[in-house]
Amino acid sequence: MMSLPFLLFACGLGAAWLRQRGVAMGFWVAGLVVLLVLFRIHMNDVLNIAL
Amino acid sequence: MPGDLSRLLNALGLIAVDTVLALAFIDQLWFRDLPCPVCILQRAAFTAAGFGLALNLLFGPRPSGYGLTIVGAAVGAAISMRQILTHIVPGSGSYGNEIFGMHLYSWAFIAFALMIVGCGLLLLDDRQFARSEPRSNRLSVLPLAAFVLFVVLAVGNVISTLLICGAGFCPEAPAGYLIFNDNLSLTELAQTL
Repeated sequence: MMSLPFLLFACGLGAAWLRQRGVAMGFWVAGLVVLLVLFRIHMNDVLNIAL
Repeated sequence: MPGDLSRLLNALGLIAVDTVLALAFIDQLWFRDLPCPVCILQRAAFTAAGFGLALNLLFGPRPSGYGLTIVGAAVGAAISMRQILTHIVPGSGSYGNEIFGMHLYSWAFIAFALMIVGCGLLLLDDRQFARSEPRSNRLSVLPLAAFVLFVVLAVGNVISTLLICGAGFCPEAPAGYLIFNDNLSLTELAQTL
């Protein structure tokens, strides 16, 4: 699940390499949405705090 | 600013993003400093921000490319600021190693802020967007190297995150590579062989 944003961005870069700019931007938007959802989920994590 | 100079500056910006992502890998692999979930999200935000620069390299500079970088960097700045605020109270501890007196999330916030300012400065010159001649699709060595390294680091982060977190969500404080310990029991398998 946490690797999904990277996967979507990597797919977008592949699409860009194939000269599909619109598809690439679509993958970027999807990746950013997933990133924001994951940030919302992990926003209140208790971190490994070294006191 | 001519289009070629703009492309060169985009390539240098992407190399800077590549360097940040590579340093994060060095910290993870060499110094055995596993990233927390929020740290992984900051890496993803660097990838999102670098994406716009990569598009500018492949398709020539466009305002939308800089827009992607600014939005990605703004999201990354918000994530790193959240982690800074977690530790801002004296005595509230920290996460991970320090580099030159600051933690990686503090450096990340500075890097995201610099990216936003840099894109703002690059957007000031409209001449880069005026095409006087057809732009070649072939990349020279530096932009090509920056792009290829960026793709490699993005794919590397897919693999690394899968190894640390498995297919689900990451543990709040990862103590090891989950996929070797719990999901597939590869460690036990290796011991039996």
